[in-house]
Amino acid sequence: MNKYTVINPHSEFKVINTHVHNIDGTAKVTGRATYTFDVKLPNMLYGKILRSPHAHAKILKIDYSRAMELPGVMGVVTGKEDTLGIKQGIWRRYQDLCDEQVLPVDKVRYIGEPVAAVAAITEEIAEKALDYIDVDYEVLPGVYEPLDAIKKDAPEIHEGFERNINVTRHIEWGDVDAAFEEAEYVREDWFKCGGQAHMCMETRAAVSSYTPDGKLTIYHSNQSPYYMQGLMAGVLGMREGDIRVISTYVGGGFGGKFELDGAIFCSAVLSRKLFKPVKIVYTREEDFIATKRRTPMFYYVRTGVKKDGTFCAREAKVFTNGGAYTGMGATALYLTGFFHSFPYRWKGYRYDGYRVYTNTLPSTSMRGFGAPQAMFCSEQQIEWIAADLGLDPIDMRRKNSHHEGYEVPGQATIASCGIDQCYDEIRKWINDKGKLPANRAIGISACGFMSGGIFNWFDTPYSFSSAVVSINQDGTVELFVGAQEIGQGSNTTLAIICAETLGVKIEDIKVHSGDTDYCPPDLGAWGSRQTLMAGNAVKMAAEAAKKQLLEFAYAQSGFNIVYDLDIKDRWVHAIARPERGYDYGELVKKAIRGKDGQKIVGRGYYTPHRKGMISPAYSYMLQGVEVEVDEETGKIKLVDSMTAHDCGQPINHLGLIGQLEGAFSMAAGYGYLEYMPYEDGKLMNPNLVDYKMIRATEMPPANIAEIDTYEPEGPYGAKEAGEGLTNPTAAAIGNALFHRFGIQMKECPITPEMILNALKEKKETEKERKGKK
Amino acid sequence: MNFKCPVCKKEWKNSLQVARHMFGTGDKPHKTWVDEQGKTQGFTFIDLMIEQATTPGNKSYVMLAELIEKAQDKL
Amino acid sequence: MEKQLLRLTVNGQEYELYINPKTLLVEAIRDHIGLIGTKRGCDTVSCGACTVMIDGASVKSCSVLAMQAEGAQITTIEGLEKNGKLAPIQKAFLDHGSYQCGFCAPGMIMSAQALLNENPAPTEWEIREGIEGNICRCTGYNSIVRAIDATAKGKYAEVKS
Ligand code: FES
Ligand code: FES
Ligand SMILES: [Zn+2]
Repeated sequence: MNKYTVINPHSEFKVINTHVHNIDGTAKVTGRATYTFDVKLPNMLYGKILRSPHAHAKILKIDYSRAMELPGVMGVVTGKEDTLGIKQGIWRRYQDLCDEQVLPVDKVRYIGEPVAAVAAITEEIAEKALDYIDVDYEVLPGVYEPLDAIKKDAPEIHEGFERNINVTRHIEWGDVDAAFEEAEYVREDWFKCGGQAHMCMETRAAVSSYTPDGKLTIYHSNQSPYYMQGLMAGVLGMREGDIRVISTYVGGGFGGKFELDGAIFCSAVLSRKLFKPVKIVYTREEDFIATKRRTPMFYYVRTGVKKDGTFCAREAKVFTNGGAYTGMGATALYLTGFFHSFPYRWKGYRYDGYRVYTNTLPSTSMRGFGAPQAMFCSEQQIEWIAADLGLDPIDMRRKNSHHEGYEVPGQATIASCGIDQCYDEIRKWINDKGKLPANRAIGISACGFMSGGIFNWFDTPYSFSSAVVSINQDGTVELFVGAQEIGQGSNTTLAIICAETLGVKIEDIKVHSGDTDYCPPDLGAWGSRQTLMAGNAVKMAAEAAKKQLLEFAYAQSGFNIVYDLDIKDRWVHAIARPERGYDYGELVKKAIRGKDGQKIVGRGYYTPHRKGMISPAYSYMLQGVEVEVDEETGKIKLVDSMTAHDCGQPINHLGLIGQLEGAFSMAAGYGYLEYMPYEDGKLMNPNLVDYKMIRATEMPPANIAEIDTYEPEGPYGAKEAGEGLTNPTAAAIGNALFHRFGIQMKECPITPEMILNALKEKKETEKERKGKK
Repeated sequence: MNFKCPVCKKEWKNSLQVARHMFGTGDKPHKTWVDEQGKTQGFTFIDLMIEQATTPGNKSYVMLAELIEKAQDKL
Repeated sequence: MEKQLLRLTVNGQEYELYINPKTLLVEAIRDHIGLIGTKRGCDTVSCGACTVMIDGASVKSCSVLAMQAEGAQITTIEGLEKNGKLAPIQKAFLDHGSYQCGFCAPGMIMSAQALLNENPAPTEWEIREGIEGNICRCTGYNSIVRAIDATAKGKYAEVKS
């Protein structure tokens, strides 16, 4: 069904990279795991949000007196009456980019934007009450595409943002013009990349409870409780410390759940007005039309190479459809430009990105964070260049790839890089297949990704990750982390690192996460940061605790001080004499006694320093996809796939496989199924009947060859694993179509119509050519 | 001779590169400087930038580069 | 609408509910009985998060009224384990890492169990078809298919002593 191989494994560990079950597993397979969706508090009310039917309109008046007359309705809140009207944004260090009032005071900018919220004793009553809220709008002209929104006479979406330009980004290194001069072949193309819904199985959900002592407790489905705490404090004018955010089990995130959403904001504002807990759960339709999405992009790419395939220069210009607000879109704009250069060495590279406001659903981060779009364009164009020059596409890529020690000028230093071996693995996979049936072809695509961002736009005074290890007298361990488990397995990964470091068993570790009252602050689950950053923090905390234990062990052992003591598998021993040891539990008891009864506690943290502009470490991968196409219908079927992947030292074996397979399914969906068509600002398929995604029958084998490298900056040599694999697939599918039919797909997702159109066009040009002859 | 950015005084070998730097940076001070220059001639920083990004050639860069050259004496 | 008395048998336990006849089965299970292991993920009967078994066959509990299940044996995720022992399919899911966020897992596991009830030796394709109505956004399904396959092959069967 699936093959998973590790290429040159080099380490011996007791817990790391062994078959460890997810530590939340039993709760999840027995239905015990309670999500925000399941939270029920005494005296709880249910909230619903009234949403704008207009893409662009002034709110003139909101009259909710009729709603208040309905029996069971407890209260209504509006932006004007019940909020401070603070414009917020997750890039809170930059005032200009804080542009969103979750309940807008005087203007709506996209269809589905919250306008008012109501709380009632049941969800049905709250829902009904929405019909009794009367809103007067002055409808304004809307604009929906970035290339229209930058026109001189386009409607102004945010005051003072000339031509609706929200953010611009420029990345440049080398003498680009000179490098283009050197090139013997230059190719330019325009691409269009679509949006994508995060489509977490748990829709946005929050339960807020504000109490008369001025404290606010929020259960919320999110990727970073610490961000929520900070952002909510900002918009409510409260102290962070008076807000507690609890996110125990989260039903998926994928980059869509670390900004304020309507559920958390409206439930808190309602609760503060009514002094009762208020629960808001989005319907699937609300989740589609009123959260955020992957950023749609227009990409212009110009690439210059030598005839022998040596890469010289690349220039890219990108316009992104930012939708109504900034969100994490500013980061996506930077990262797409950076990863567009990956994984290759360019003498000269220049990127200009423009994020443009439109009257559509705001766009933001989503798994891959701008890189899937970048790779769709880059990796196809590279394939076409190889074909234009008659070169082998794998050899050409290999020749220009990053390698250990390479410096992306001014941006990053590559400390570990396994891309070279990836080429071998994929070549082998292709060769082993031999001749393919006529309706099939293979496409490949390379890419890389970061292991956590080093930028501090959130302006946190805290270290980026922190952990506390506290050892009980029986040797069991409480591990407190601010890192957030959203299904990616971070609790398990961190428990593994903790167990390995302390020298205990995985079942000795209890992980506490997802609660700002008890867990140390951490930026949370995004940008593939937790394994490296929280992992380092956990390792440091465990080492600190272990050191205290070993001090006692030394004191009592009578060994010459040049001997090294260690704990492995709960066995305390001199490394030179492993057989002469004793039980770790015994040592813990003694150590606590020796500390006058204090618990053994270790603390750890991670803050990146001098790690370039983007990230401390980069993963690499090359993917091959075997695609079958029905020429009559244009329908695509994925038959098989292989990814050669370098994530440094794998930590969580089962989790890694799961992440790679899961990312692949999402990437495949982006490549050919997940389509978000808008008409005049209205999403045309906001439900799971019309929004197609990969189901079990569409999922091909996702074979993996894990290239075992060592990343010096990561804990035990680990780096990113779960996100980067969202990047290559759309391009790989496109490349398969190119090899099968010679058609060039410049738009994704690649729908059957696009394929049929391309085939038709190709036939026509061929006819014309023949006619001319 | 080197050319200086009239705002942050960073230096490059030719004025075109300074122009590129000014578009690339695009923060308030750089934007304001271009807007000031454009007042009399009826263009803004964003106008030039969009022109540059959406039409082939280097028209905007060259225009800005000329302004930068003129401003060098005053730096 | 007039509320009505309804007797539902869930996981072998009979519950008396006094509810609106338009109540969906998933609402009766979650909101009235309080078995919140069963989830909801859509409003269009498309995701399978709400899947339960009625007389051993999988049913999306958002697609039927509670009334329609009167007199039948309803099984939810909470009913699979017996005296603290996980059912083979649950063990298999654990062992293959067949869930990530876990939100789809209760429904997915019920679909899997129903499939195995009906077809104890499914082919890989039959397994895929059997869970086609269940969306999992996290795993990419292959680990789920492996778990169901291993269960069918008896890998997690209780060894009777
Ligand atoms: S809730 Fe989605 S199918 Fe029932
Ligand atoms: S595990 Fe998250 S949806 Fe299946
Ligand atoms: Zn400057």
